Amino acid sequence: MIARTLFIPVVLLLVLTFLIGPFLIIVAASFSAGETLAFPPQGFSLQWIFKVFTVDSFRASFATSMLLAVGGTAAALLLGIPASYALSRYTLPGAEIVRTVVSAPIIVPGIIVGLALLRYIVVPMQASMTLILFLAHTALVLPYAVRVVSASLENLRSDIEEAAVLLGSSRLGAFFRVVLPNIRGGILSAFILGFVTSFNQVPLSLFLSAPGVRTLPVDMMAYMEIVFDPSVAALSSLLAFLSIGIVFAAERFLGFSRYV
Amino acid sequence: MFQNRAEAFALALPAALFVTLVFLVPVVALLSEGFHLNGSWTISAYVDFFSSSLNQAVFWRTLKLGAIVTVVSAVIGYAAAFAIVGLSPTAKGRVTGLVMMPLMISPVARTYAWIVILGRTGIVNEALHAIGLTDAPLRILFSETAIFIGLLQLFLPLMIISLISALENMPRDAVPAARVLGANWFQVFWKVILPLTREGLVVGGTLVFTGSLTAYITPAILGGSKVLMLETLMYQQVSVSNNFVAASVIACILIVMSFAANILLKRVATARNKIRREGAAA
Repeated sequence: MIARTLFIPVVLLLVLTFLIGPFLIIVAASFSAGETLAFPPQGFSLQWIFKVFTVDSFRASFATSMLLAVGGTAAALLLGIPASYALSRYTLPGAEIVRTVVSAPIIVPGIIVGLALLRYIVVPMQASMTLILFLAHTALVLPYAVRVVSASLENLRSDIEEAAVLLGSSRLGAFFRVVLPNIRGGILSAFILGFVTSFNQVPLSLFLSAPGVRTLPVDMMAYMEIVFDPSVAALSSLLAFLSIGIVFAAERFLGFSRYV
Repeated sequence: MFQNRAEAFALALPAALFVTLVFLVPVVALLSEGFHLNGSWTISAYVDFFSSSLNQAVFWRTLKLGAIVTVVSAVIGYAAAFAIVGLSPTAKGRVTGLVMMPLMISPVARTYAWIVILGRTGIVNEALHAIGLTDAPLRILFSETAIFIGLLQLFLPLMIISLISALENMPRDAVPAARVLGANWFQVFWKVILPLTREGLVVGGTLVFTGSLTAYITPAILGGSKVLMLETLMYQQVSVSNNFVAASVIACILIVMSFAANILLKRVATARNKIRREGAAA
């Protein structure tokens, strides 16, 4: 009996320490006054938190990552919402093929996609790296967009839009006035999931970098190979709090986890 | 259900076309590079790849780490999922949230933390030195152990979450019934819980195994340039040796292994279900 009452707290303590402890160490290390990354931190200062904002390459790559995450996810939703609607409301011949094709980018490792795009689009077509990164991130997010939006369409009874059409609304009008307002939560959840996925993505963007064009996580990995100061820790903590904040707010206001 | 085919195609076509052009065509072209040398179709690139002992070592290390991480995460995952399922509903929600929290944090940040913990002047080495167990710092970083720890931390949440839902879907009285009928805890796990949660285990296992096989960030940061896995080897082949044929071979191996793992595990799940259903019918 004692063994069983102890089991739950001990297991939870160990597992949560393993999962979250390293992150807390990173947070603590970012407030260090020392010159090198160490734990326990030597003294307390905010210098590394401030330094993050002064590193030019971080500022540029943060802007690139933001642009890709927001723009790529928006583009994926523009492609994904109509596709999800076709898959869930129409008898589409070859629906299984469409579903498989659209969700394929999730299955193939990102590094392979990145190299394929570099070899077969960037080099032969002399395409702009930012544009290719944008297309790559759109393809990456599309499967998530289709999955989450399809799930919320499945949860919406299709007879309400049929009713709207019978009552004289056009099909397009029924979609914008009846369907869209009802799947708003799902679309926002898809946006958040897509944003976090795109923003944290490394292997896909690894080969897709040009002078001055790089995503933030790839830039961080390059930086930490050269400099061993706590600024990467400080940046990691800031980013982590940003994404935890976004997801927490989404859960609070949208019930994010219902869709994911 | 609407029947208008033209409309349906018009809605689905842009997404399908986009993925075909931006994703399928370039990836297929890259994969074909490894089979097409000097104007003829051949598998000699694959023979070359596997004749190198370095490549063989990387291949087996990737499989081995994937398997070990999957098994260990299943063992820890069951213990953790049990503990979480036994909590009150409020506590369960909070702890599940904490388990999922790392999934929202950048894998670069999560992996970076292990440098602080496992490095030469990291917490582990300082602690070992302080209590007098070691004289010189142990070399934990840039080893298979470091990669194993990093991968386990990265993928354990996926296993725990799959197992929580599997355990919750289990009939409530299955375990007490087995206990009343005299089964010990080992038998309860092996004969009741494991068969009833097999699907969740397979889902979690597939995610962890394929995730570990195709990991890049963890071996890049915690394995260094010496202890390679398939993806870091692929990166090296391109960026250091400019060897696109080898990169194409590795890409193909990675895709085949991921698909094989998916299919195999799906088979395992459905085969067991069939046995269970037939058993129930009899």
